[in-house]
Amino acid sequence: PRPDVHPLPPGTHLLYAQSGRIEHVPLEGYEMKKDAGKAVLHLPEKVIIGVAYDCVEKMVYWTEITSPSISKASIQAGEPTAVITSDLDSPEGIAIDHLSRTMFWTDSVKDHIEVASLDGSQRRVIIDTDLVNPRAIVTDPPNGNLYWADWNREAPKIETSHMDGSNRRVLVKDDLSLPNGLTYDSQSSLLCWADAGTHKLECTHPSHGDRRKVIEGLQYPFGITSFGKNIYYTDWRRDAVVAVDRHAGKESDMYQPQKKTKIYGIATAYAQCPAGQNYCAVN
Amino acid sequence: NALIGTPADCQHCPCPDRTSCAEIAQTGQVVCTNCPAGQTGIRCQMCEDGYYGDPLGQSGSARPCVRCDCNGNVDLNALGVCDHLTGRCLKCLGHTEGEHCERCQRGFYGDALNQTAVQKCKACSCSPGGTSGYVNECHPHTGNCLCLGHVTGRDCSYCEMGFFNLQPGVGCERCRCSPIGSAS
Repeated sequence: PRPDVHPLPPGTHLLYAQSGRIEHVPLEGYEMKKDAGKAVLHLPEKVIIGVAYDCVEKMVYWTEITSPSISKASIQAGEPTAVITSDLDSPEGIAIDHLSRTMFWTDSVKDHIEVASLDGSQRRVIIDTDLVNPRAIVTDPPNGNLYWADWNREAPKIETSHMDGSNRRVLVKDDLSLPNGLTYDSQSSLLCWADAGTHKLECTHPSHGDRRKVIEGLQYPFGITSFGKNIYYTDWRRDAVVAVDRHAGKESDMYQPQKKTKIYGIATAYAQCPAGQNYCAVN
Repeated sequence: NALIGTPADCQHCPCPDRTSCAEIAQTGQVVCTNCPAGQTGIRCQMCEDGYYGDPLGQSGSARPCVRCDCNGNVDLNALGVCDHLTGRCLKCLGHTEGEHCERCQRGFYGDALNQTAVQKCKACSCSPGGTSGYVNECHPHTGNCLCLGHVTGRDCSYCEMGFFNLQPGVGCERCRCSPIGSAS
């Protein structure tokens, strides 16, 4: 193991990308253990954007834009392995379906959404129309749904489809501006987004079509992730990870790493895969 | 390595501003872990996303990392807007182009540097009947199209004073008004 990287101790963690590093901060309950935040991976030549976590193999996956690629590494301070290195221009958001062992990503130059097996094989474009600035993407593995956000300044939107790209529909298009971050919590079936233009954090149950504001006055959210009643977002203005209590509707905590530079994607590294409907576990 | 027992066991980190570093045990490679603001890389030799330069002068003279300069023609919410070494803008918007998005794309005209205009670069849209060139060919600043004989207007859409009957590929004819009966 490298001296500048640290294997993740057991428990739930937040993983976030900052300045060529994937860092983690452990969660104790909902509390960020700020003094225990450390680098999981140091990739000094890279600009890491999207981060996703595979709870089955305990691997972190990320997108990188300097030499556009998608890579993975074990959170036990494993060596990075490139998964996809060709035909990428500007990969941004990345999401994992831990049940079907696939990953999805957006490319903001190619303006499309792709899927591939976690080893990079069986790669395929599933959405390639009506996308301008696709960024965030998340999965709902038990129900086989995919959600993504496009921050196109002329017509921002949040969309959904099945995991093969079929049954595509617009979920939200009104009162959006720069929906940078998107997260789906399978326990509550809530899809939440952080908007850097309206400065709001809002949620919807995709199957009900309701819409609820959690909090307004966010500064400059980029990535978001959920864990139980909390939502954590990365803030470009404060170079911080901010905790929002979804029930109380207020910011409950903030973690500012020493390094003062933009924090990009964030993901929750669960101690175990989320419980609930899991058709693979039944078989 | 402090355990060898020679005076040179501990050396200064090869990082700018005496920032910290770490040595990778297997390879002996030394990696800077706290580069100065705007810098990144094993030796802090690279600029962060949104900045460009060559802080250690690895390819020529040293240039500090400065913000991407794209004349306001890139989106602040976008990523990877310029090359981290050369500063060449990669995501010019509004039909601008160039190293720093400083001019209008071919087929468009205006002032790509005007920070107050709503639409900096407009389509040439030359009148197909009045131009002797292509409909998307015009002066990059004024937008003037190449007009046929005695045709005028920025987009060559009408006849000069004293001329009429704009014919595609030909131009306008001179009015032949009788000097006795005309008021002008």
